[in-house]
Amino acid sequence: MSDGIAVETLTLTLGTFRLQNLNLAVSSGEILVILGPNGAGKSVTLETIAGFHRPDSGRVLIDGHDVTGLAPERRNVAFVVQNFGLFPHLTVAQNIVIARRSNVKGAKTDKPSSLPRNDAGLLAYLGLSRLMQCWPEDLSPGEQQRVALARALASSPDLFLFDEPFAALDNQIRDQLREELRSFLRTLSTPAIFVTHDHADATVLADRIAVLRDGAIVQAGPAKDVYARPANSFVARFVGFENILGARVVGAAGEIATIAIGDRKLYASVPTDTATMGDTVRLAIRGEQVILGPPRSGNFPSPAVNRLDGRITSLRSQNPLVTVGIDCGFPLRGYLLAPQTRMMNIEVGRSIGVEIAVDAVHVMPN
Amino acid sequence: MLTHPTARWGSGGQGHSRGLYLLCWFLGTILVAFLVAPLMALALSQSGQSLAGVARMGDVRDAIALSLEGAFLSAALSALAGVPLAYGLARTTFPGKGVVAALVDLPLAVPHTVAGIALLMVLGRQGVLGAPLQALVGLKFWGTLAGIVAAMLFVSAPYTVNAARIGFEAVDPRLEKIARTLGLGPWRTFAQITLPLARRSIMTGVTLTYARSISEFGAVVILAYYPMTAPVKIYELFLRFGLDQAAGASVLLLVVSLVLFLLLRAVSHGGPSRESR
Repeated sequence: MSDGIAVETLTLTLGTFRLQNLNLAVSSGEILVILGPNGAGKSVTLETIAGFHRPDSGRVLIDGHDVTGLAPERRNVAFVVQNFGLFPHLTVAQNIVIARRSNVKGAKTDKPSSLPRNDAGLLAYLGLSRLMQCWPEDLSPGEQQRVALARALASSPDLFLFDEPFAALDNQIRDQLREELRSFLRTLSTPAIFVTHDHADATVLADRIAVLRDGAIVQAGPAKDVYARPANSFVARFVGFENILGARVVGAAGEIATIAIGDRKLYASVPTDTATMGDTVRLAIRGEQVILGPPRSGNFPSPAVNRLDGRITSLRSQNPLVTVGIDCGFPLRGYLLAPQTRMMNIEVGRSIGVEIAVDAVHVMPN
Repeated sequence: MLTHPTARWGSGGQGHSRGLYLLCWFLGTILVAFLVAPLMALALSQSGQSLAGVARMGDVRDAIALSLEGAFLSAALSALAGVPLAYGLARTTFPGKGVVAALVDLPLAVPHTVAGIALLMVLGRQGVLGAPLQALVGLKFWGTLAGIVAAMLFVSAPYTVNAARIGFEAVDPRLEKIARTLGLGPWRTFAQITLPLARRSIMTGVTLTYARSISEFGAVVILAYYPMTAPVKIYELFLRFGLDQAAGASVLLLVVSLVLFLLLRAVSHGGPSRESR
């Protein structure tokens, strides 16, 4: 193993909960986002990597060194939790000074980095100089995040771990902090693992995604692969597919499959010869790939684009987006911008035309 | 502590809850008056001269000093052994934890004379602990300072354990985890993060233990009538000389313990750094 972190065949029993045969790898400068619902074992996984649980079997490697038997304080790992976990009885400066590693063997100080090495420089770099003597409770969430990052950096970590740091924040601040965190991590070569149940975090941050369910990885891979080709409907729902439909393969020829949903047919592009006639499958279609337009007449599937007619069943406005529910033989959800709904005279009960590109229809095993 | 918004009764503009606030104020005032009135009456019954006279009585001064000394030792011991117990109760789970927590509270439910009898049976001359301790290290509990401290500790230690436990439970375990990942070992994490964050609760508990120890009579009088602590001395004065003599010594003890209590509160609630909530 070279630089980076690897989790190898990790198994851990904690009461009735079990992490099963976990394998993860993150290279230098990469961000892995672990996605999963509450209780999937995301936090336990992070805490095991940080050294708070001893696994039944398996190894944790940091930069090629086996740290499985080391106490947390010997692992050189930075841990950022919900609301950032600043020590409330210490000032900003004290929070950062406490992280200076004095007693850790093997702490790397020769890591190539464009960042300042001393505390004052670090604070200036993160725009925190004037906050040195402030108490954490007086800081904005953005400032708290930057202090937490400064403190983490002061400990010269080999790995960043984030345990849903934004979970308690409202959307607007969350968007802003996510962007800040991304640009911060991009300037470092330190690998990071970010745990969340919010796929918006993954959209912005992830180089790689691992989806966790009941202590086991359901799917792992480069972010764009997991986003485009979820392995099953659980993953699809978790990475934000709005439309997940039960269907059946009624025709298969090379990379194009014909899929029946009720009495409607859709074309879908599939990896060569993976679809078999008669298979029951699930389809995943992103709302943003459902293109809405003026109504057409009839159902004319073509090899490039699926064209459907439907009727509007619901409208839900969340400015500037309007979520449009459509019945086109099966339920479908798509989006319009608020001004478009006015221009197109969109109302519940009216007919509407739907286009879905063939490669936007993702076929998954049932 | 009246800075929390919900503590400002009556100043809130919520019309629908005004009746509730008025009722709370009314009943609360009655209780506070009931608590303060006897002490006020006692304090006002004594002139400065008569107080000065009592204060010149050597045996009264000795008794008050002994009470303060015993209470200090009791509070110190409760902190020494009670804080680790509280941390264990707050941070670990083990079978029978509920039983241990109930056992800690047990002295609060035992009448103090009963506690004194029970202690005498264990720590007395023929007690299962008292006999070997006296034989091996010469530690005697019957009629000694050690006995006074044992009686005080028995009835007042739960205050320290319970307050410290609540304090530790309020410290987010994730802060401890972060400290560990930042390179602090378990001991430094406890000393630099957990303990400072629970400090106010612990000090509150120790202060209560101290105050409860000074005021303890029932258990002390059975285990160690002599040397006399202040409450025992006051009881003796009352029996031998009547109310006037006893009231003078009572006011003196009241003044001393109130001053100490306020001082301790100021020390434990002040401090250079702010506390977490």
